Amino acid sequence: MPKHYRPAGKKKEGNAAKYITRTKAVKYLQISLATFRKLCILKGVFPRDPKKKVEGNHKTYYHMKDIAFLAHDPLIEKFREIKVHRKKVKKAFAKKNKDLADRLLNRPPTYKLDRLILERYPTFVDALRDLDDCLTMVHLFAALPAVEGERVQVQRIHNCRRLSHEWQAYISRTHSLRKTFISVKGIYYQAEVQGQKITWLTPHALQQVLTDDVDFNVMLTFLEFYETLLGFINFKLYHSINVNYPPVLDPRLEALASELYALCRYMSSGRVPGNSEPAGLIEDKEGEDNKESSKTDESELRLAQLQHQLPTNEPGALMHLVQESTAADADDADAKECRSLFKNLKFYLSREVPRESLLFIIPAFGGTVSWEGEGAPFDETDEDITHQIVDRPTQSHVFLSREYVQPQWIYDCVNARIILPTEGYIVGRVPPPHLSPFVDNDAEGYIPEYAETIKRLQAAAQSQVLPLPSLGDEDMENSLVEAIIDRSESNEIADKKRKLEMLEKQYHDELRMEYEGKTFSNRTADNQPDVVDKSDTKEADDHMEDSHKQAEKDAADISKTLMSRKQRGLLQAIEINQERKKDKVNLLKKRKKNADSSASAKGR
Amino acid sequence: MGHSDGDHGSDLSADDSPWSEGSWSDDDDEGSLSFEDSGEGSDAESDEPDAPAVEESDSSEDEVAPRNTIGDVPLEWYKNEEHIGYDITGSKIKKRDREGRIEAYLRNADDAKNWRKIYDEYNDEEVQITKEEAKIISRLLKGKTPHTNVDPYPDYVDWFEYDGKGHPLSSAPEPKRRFVPSKWEQKKVVKLVRAIRKGWIKFDKPKEEPNFYLLWGDETDTADNKRQGLSYIPAPKPNLPGHEESYNPSVEYIPTQEEIDSYQLMYEEDRPKFIPRKFDCLRSVPAYEKALREGFDRCLDLYLCPRTRKKRINIDPESLKPKLPSKKDLRPYPRTCYLEFKGHNGPVKSLSVEATGQWIASGSSDGTIRVWEVETGRCIKVWNVGGVVHRIAWNPSPDRHILAAVVDHDLLLLNAEVGDEDAQMKTKGLLQIEELAQEEDNGDKKPAVKWVKHEKFDGIMLIHHKLSKKHSHHPFRKLPGLPIAAVFHPSQKMFFVATKKFVQVYDLQKAQLVKKLESGVREISSISIHPGGDNVIVGSKDGKLCWFDTDLSTRPYKTLKNHSKDITNVTFHRKYPLFASSSEDCTAYVFHGMVYSDLNQNPLIVPLEILRGHSSSDGRGVLDCKFHPRQPWLFTAGADSVVRLYCD
Repeated sequence: MPKHYRPAGKKKEGNAAKYITRTKAVKYLQISLATFRKLCILKGVFPRDPKKKVEGNHKTYYHMKDIAFLAHDPLIEKFREIKVHRKKVKKAFAKKNKDLADRLLNRPPTYKLDRLILERYPTFVDALRDLDDCLTMVHLFAALPAVEGERVQVQRIHNCRRLSHEWQAYISRTHSLRKTFISVKGIYYQAEVQGQKITWLTPHALQQVLTDDVDFNVMLTFLEFYETLLGFINFKLYHSINVNYPPVLDPRLEALASELYALCRYMSSGRVPGNSEPAGLIEDKEGEDNKESSKTDESELRLAQLQHQLPTNEPGALMHLVQESTAADADDADAKECRSLFKNLKFYLSREVPRESLLFIIPAFGGTVSWEGEGAPFDETDEDITHQIVDRPTQSHVFLSREYVQPQWIYDCVNARIILPTEGYIVGRVPPPHLSPFVDNDAEGYIPEYAETIKRLQAAAQSQVLPLPSLGDEDMENSLVEAIIDRSESNEIADKKRKLEMLEKQYHDELRMEYEGKTFSNRTADNQPDVVDKSDTKEADDHMEDSHKQAEKDAADISKTLMSRKQRGLLQAIEINQERKKDKVNLLKKRKKNADSSASAKGR
Repeated sequence: MGHSDGDHGSDLSADDSPWSEGSWSDDDDEGSLSFEDSGEGSDAESDEPDAPAVEESDSSEDEVAPRNTIGDVPLEWYKNEEHIGYDITGSKIKKRDREGRIEAYLRNADDAKNWRKIYDEYNDEEVQITKEEAKIISRLLKGKTPHTNVDPYPDYVDWFEYDGKGHPLSSAPEPKRRFVPSKWEQKKVVKLVRAIRKGWIKFDKPKEEPNFYLLWGDETDTADNKRQGLSYIPAPKPNLPGHEESYNPSVEYIPTQEEIDSYQLMYEEDRPKFIPRKFDCLRSVPAYEKALREGFDRCLDLYLCPRTRKKRINIDPESLKPKLPSKKDLRPYPRTCYLEFKGHNGPVKSLSVEATGQWIASGSSDGTIRVWEVETGRCIKVWNVGGVVHRIAWNPSPDRHILAAVVDHDLLLLNAEVGDEDAQMKTKGLLQIEELAQEEDNGDKKPAVKWVKHEKFDGIMLIHHKLSKKHSHHPFRKLPGLPIAAVFHPSQKMFFVATKKFVQVYDLQKAQLVKKLESGVREISSISIHPGGDNVIVGSKDGKLCWFDTDLSTRPYKTLKNHSKDITNVTFHRKYPLFASSSEDCTAYVFHGMVYSDLNQNPLIVPLEILRGHSSSDGRGVLDCKFHPRQPWLFTAGADSVVRLYCD
């Protein structure tokens, strides 16, 4: 029998046997499409892209093994049970057998997802890696209105709120928050847990409207899984810092809707039982810092011991060890930087600022914070307050001992990892642009002006930071004032410097371009720099430049003729992409120029 | 043995009747049973035909073969014989002497074992059976099993257990009590109900198990920590927000109103999904109305999007370009425009370089043919031929300055009237003879081939003019497609004709097709042959240039896509390893094309220079290009009515 011949009814091979369309899969599993969908979401089964789409391009294909994986799941049986149960209840109601219906309703078949979570994420790190969507979703639902009669149960919204606060409390407690960004969509946070960068988005603390264009069944199925996942992750994280889970909160604070603060307090008291004062929080942290330093000492000691133990003819092993320890140190440095950013600063939040977000961020970077409202740890009249976060056009009563800044200042400080000068952020002013910390400006090819400013400030701070610890804590304000004066002066100097730099940079750019041109065409290389230097007569220069450019382009293109078609296509695609990127940057530059010119025109 | 010969010991009557039931006693004792051998009884027995058969069958199962070999025949056949049969060697077996009845009786009476003796008349001998055998016989006679320890009727043991299987073996009707509610049960239930009502009995609530526990315990065992099943492809993470998504982006990220309006003109899919906005302060930022929608879209992506692993290459585009040898080593080649020959009023369609390289001739569609001096760029001579000049060619021999030109449908031969006087006189003479002969051909060997439009056939027919013999012949009566261009082999008597897609190699001597080169391009426009003769380049109307190595294959050794428009002409340099192509896109390419004498080494092709300078006119660019016969110079004829000379 030839190989290609297959008797009718025999199983096919290849893609036809490996992949199955969704309709067929649903039929194969003998479930409804809705159940199939739910099953896929919970089990994390997704369609795959077969190399050859046997049944047509417009269909969704699942791998046969995935479907078998679904078919063997006990959950499928559970769903059938639920369906039967629902029918029973319906029947009982129809027969006016209320007792039976009640009894049935009291004991619905339930299922648990812990097994599924372990199946999908065998290790904790796997789970952390996939946490972005989970956190975004849970935070989104936490922001939905908890109103009876809406499409989402109130209890679930409360659960989401609780889970998100627990997560935030952990992040804040361990100082693992790294970046924040206020966008139009909400506030982005990036934290680093066990070496994994986890980014999530929380909507602005405003009431969301439930729209009709979404299918809540799908979202709630996702949420069901995410709630469970986040619960287990929180448990593991709390367990790792020796705090009980689920946390038991102070009912008074909970009633005041400041769960996050309550959680923070719980966590700090979780280590030192009986200590329920808010000051304990700070003390605890300091203790931790001391511990940290002692730990590093210990590691050094151990290293020294190990060096003695190791045979001297194994430099590789020793190097490895040293590298390891330095890597740990680097990690510590990052964490330490975050921990001590707002150290010794005391914040007070006005009514109109996003309290939840700031209550999360400020402690995460080592600051102390209070807010306007009941249950706050300290009052507005507290003399130690260094910064008050306000977001209103005018401030009625002004304490001279503190600075009044807009909330954006906190976020910018966090992203820059330095205490920025506050002039730009003073009440009533339009703050400087808020830049995304997630963008690699160099790779993008365009650096916004304010990013440069921040960079310079960072560089300045690094040289300044060294003497700071010796100043002591009591004259913190003085030092701050000094620092501010220093910075304003340095700003002026920096402005001048920048102009110079700009000129220099322009020159360098031109030089570089010429240099590149040189590499392209050997012929015109010798006389080119001269041409540019002497560029006085414009038209001739333009003409020359055109011809030069053409020559350069020709020189670059000439090797293209020998390329294969595939490679040529690839090169073209790359070039188009680069061109697009360049266009974007040029557009930005053009807009900037226009804005500058219009601003200067206004200034006159 | 079972045959009924036995009699009661007491009774010696030898009757033939079978044993009677009544005559046997039920008990087992041996004494009651006796066999008697009756000598004369054999006669009577032999009457029964089945008797020996039975004996035979019995004897067959034990001990030795019978002594007698007569087989299964009635013994009465031997009744009157002296012998009873034959032994195995074939000798007769004598009958024993008959003893008298009385003698036998006496002997029997004396012998205690007599009752166990049986006379075997087949073998004519007496056999004494053993006690055991006797026993078996007696049991058989009684209708019992031969062996004592076999129980023919054991007690029946049922293999199926009916107990508790619910098989009502009894067909008795169900008693009434089974249908009446139990009074005691009722009492019990009433008691329980009362207890429940009074709260004495409390039901267990479904137990609240702790929802969360330490799911990921120790993670030291890596073997357990592997995900089962198919390879998991993690979903790509959502894009991180850029500067433009900020609530307070810097000014350059905010599009102007015109730009926002222009988005409306874009296609739906090209339109930016997000338009940056600036808010003066944080408190004025509204709730994002598409938050739920975007969350939902992400959910859909997660469970509906097919996932595949795609390799995204991140390579430097420069690394894709092939490394070329240094151009300096490949010098000299034409690089810059040195001279421009201006004078024509229309596109210069064709040009030709004189064999010594001193003059060039150009034909234009303005109806003029001009001859130029190369070194000065001066126009020496102008003919107004009054028609579009398609092609023009010099006589390849350096001492006869004759020009051939195709003007409309005619081939013109012109005296160029250049060079020294001797040569001029010579040509003049030649052409005069020709004028007298009233023929187009002259006596010169002129391997230039033109094609003329043959109006009778309403198509282009290739006519090969054999000028020396003053006749032309048609090598191809049939060609696959229209002939486009043709060249002669430089050394052999071969002829290359390019049709639309193929190049036919034709042997002139044998007058047959030798080879057919497949170009693989859409439409061939020009052809040129390497002075060595083995390599051919072909230019096409889709801007591709194919290099054929005729020794290697009938397919192109290399196809270069260099021009963006039609290639008008390709040409090899006669001395230098150079070739060039000119195209409608106003450029000419110069290549280094080195052919090695070593057959194992492939030709080296290096693009050297793009020559620009011609401007486009009426959508046409460079119409012709020719190399100088000695110098590395290239002449190009442009549609902008200029002829240019490129030098090193």
